[in-house]
Amino acid sequence: MRRWAGAVGRWLAHFGADLRASLDTGVLAVARFVGLLYGPIDPQARIDEALRKALRYRLPGHVTWRHALGGISYLLFMVLVATGVLLSFYYRPSVQEAYASIQFIVSRIPFGWLVRDLHVWAASLVVLAVLAHMARVFFDAAYKPPRETNWIVGLLLMFLVLAFGATGYLLPWDQWAYWTVSEVLDAIGRLPVLGGPLVGLLRGDAMVSGATLSRFFALHVIVLPWLALALLGYHFTLVRKHGVAPPKDPAAVARPPVPFFPHHLLRSFRVAVLVLAVAVSAAALFPRALGHPANPYQPPPELVSTWVPVDVSLALIRYAGGWGFALFTLLGLSLAFLPLFDRTPERALRRRPVVAMVGLVFFLGFGVLWVVGHGVRSVVPRALPARDMREELNPPPSPGLPLPERGPTPPRPAEPSGRGPGRS
Amino acid sequence: MMAAWLVSAWLAAAQPGGALQGVQDTAAYGCVICHADKRQAFQMGVHAERGIRCADCHGGNPASFEVRTAHAGRFLKRPTKIGTAQLCASCHSDPDRMRQYGLPSGQLAELKTSRHGELLFRGNPDVPTCTDCHDAHLIRPPVDARSSVYPANIAATCARCHENVSLMRKYGLPTTQVAEFRAGAHGVALYQQGNFAAPTCVGCHGSHAALPPKVTEIVHVCDRCHVELGRALHQGPHGPPAASGRLPGCLGCHTNHATERVPPDRIAATCTRCHAPESPAAQRGQVIQQQVVEATGELQAAAAAIEDLVRAGRPVTDERFRYQSALTAYQQIAEVQHSLDLDRLDDLVRQVSSLSRAIRSTEEAAAEQRWEHRLILVPVWFLALSAAVLAGFKLSDLKRRGE
Repeated sequence: MRRWAGAVGRWLAHFGADLRASLDTGVLAVARFVGLLYGPIDPQARIDEALRKALRYRLPGHVTWRHALGGISYLLFMVLVATGVLLSFYYRPSVQEAYASIQFIVSRIPFGWLVRDLHVWAASLVVLAVLAHMARVFFDAAYKPPRETNWIVGLLLMFLVLAFGATGYLLPWDQWAYWTVSEVLDAIGRLPVLGGPLVGLLRGDAMVSGATLSRFFALHVIVLPWLALALLGYHFTLVRKHGVAPPKDPAAVARPPVPFFPHHLLRSFRVAVLVLAVAVSAAALFPRALGHPANPYQPPPELVSTWVPVDVSLALIRYAGGWGFALFTLLGLSLAFLPLFDRTPERALRRRPVVAMVGLVFFLGFGVLWVVGHGVRSVVPRALPARDMREELNPPPSPGLPLPERGPTPPRPAEPSGRGPGRS
Repeated sequence: MMAAWLVSAWLAAAQPGGALQGVQDTAAYGCVICHADKRQAFQMGVHAERGIRCADCHGGNPASFEVRTAHAGRFLKRPTKIGTAQLCASCHSDPDRMRQYGLPSGQLAELKTSRHGELLFRGNPDVPTCTDCHDAHLIRPPVDARSSVYPANIAATCARCHENVSLMRKYGLPTTQVAEFRAGAHGVALYQQGNFAAPTCVGCHGSHAALPPKVTEIVHVCDRCHVELGRALHQGPHGPPAASGRLPGCLGCHTNHATERVPPDRIAATCTRCHAPESPAAQRGQVIQQQVVEATGELQAAAAAIEDLVRAGRPVTDERFRYQSALTAYQQIAEVQHSLDLDRLDDLVRQVSSLSRAIRSTEEAAAEQRWEHRLILVPVWFLALSAAVLAGFKLSDLKRRGE
């Protein structure tokens, strides 16, 4: 028995040594992706050494709860990845099966409802977390050189999050998803020069159809995740390279540094479990309702928004019109690109009144619009009268056949017979 | 090659062609040189398409450019109303000529049986002749939307006279028919739903043989479309009085042009229009109203339950099937409302209720399950809070020890 145990122990020791020898720090990218590594990058270090160094790393003393927002965004992103993978086991991206597979997930799969609603809610919460993270960086002026590249990478990540949501929005293939995407693509198509070709690429058809569903699904589960992985790796690498931005208040520099392990990890763990609990609560208490199956010939009487950016857009279009929407988008874009031009070392908010105002209007406005937009239900304007399943469910006001069914269309007047000479 | 193509295209364009060009053919249509105002209307009409010329109705000499010679011979300037009817009939009463167009040939005979025809041939100038409804020159078949006798235009054509208060007062006729028709079930079906199966004025009154149906005929007029309801009425206690004329048929409850529907909560009140409030007949009305209101509520509840199930992401194929069965039973209640068969009514209402209950129980089970989902929050928050608190203890412990 002892001989056996000794053999296994020797084999394990060999295996560990081989593994250590065969791995370089490039593998640490994985650890970096899952947010486990902090501190400066040392490409020469062996993997176990690098890990130990990372654990021994001490964060600056001014890192507080406000710095948790980036981590929360990342955590929610990981929740989306995990629930997304689970959903993809059952979801089928085709016109015939998409809606039914969602019904199957929700009603037949154990905890399918939880996985789906967690995915839906995490998609909304991640937008809020990313924006909050951006606001923190913006008001702290943490984007100033040398960290301006990371601001741009962060911006790209935010656009990726929006692209994830936009492509995922269509996948349930219900009336709300179908018509919201139709309306949005229609609006994009009206943008000059690039609008038409872009919509042609995204839609792949004259109208939102199975071709669009396939494209959105491919973007959602293949293209965007790889892009996100690459950008996240870059984002975290830059954070490690430049470290956390120094505090605005010079007095805070004096605070003693905090060890990454176990102090910071424990703090992160507390935030993570609370965020997860909040996401699960939202999923259990406010499940995402499903509309009727998508019907391209019958716009629904109301569009129920199920994603924060759609709420905000609905509120803007309803209360500020198309121009208001365009202005707010411009405000957001100017805020995004402002750091590229604001390169002075000044970081106090009081000395940056314009920047502070622009940021305040955008971030506060976004929050208010989200709350307002949640109650807005817009009717798709381009309605075509046709019977659909919904109308079938309208109980008649009294018994009897409502009225004779629509008869055949009266024949067109007889075309004059070509009797005249030379009639062509 | 190109030149040949251009020349042939040029020649083709120069050729006169079709009915339009036919009207410009002065040998046949010289009349339009002076009567240009009639030209456009006539060439849009079906007669120009069939090669009928001005002279075929009006006589004269269309080849002449002088008024005197053009209007010479058997020339008919503007026919009288009776003359118009006879002129049209000279072709339209000829079955041999009408056969090729698939047109009937009995219009004049029918007209003579109508009140319009009766007065017309007595020389009354107020009543319409053919051209008053069909126009004199712009005559299009009823399937043409431009025609004054196209289904959607018929009510307006009749209204030209029948909404004329001073004219109708002479004959003691009301002028509200068309407005009532437009607002009624038939008008809504025709104008708002584009349902051309809905009758217009001529659907009930006839076109050329237009007359109000007699009291005993009303049921038969409505029966033509509402077959099942008519049969039920005849089987029920209202059948014999309707057949003998003591009851004005369907009009007793539904009125004529407005085709009023009796909503479920107005059934008993409708009965008391004729029956004394305490009479057994009125009490039967009460029972029917109560049952129909119940069935309506059940059906609405079933529809709402299905809507809730859809929102909760549940497959609803079975529920939709049950709803269709309930809807079928519910629609059959209308028959019972006419036959007044309480046993059958009870049976149908029970069908609606039991199907509705089955649908609602599915929805209630789903709602219960949704509620149970929330129970997951108990362990989730317990674990999350305990983990956070334990981590907090550990942190404060680390701080206390100054690590």
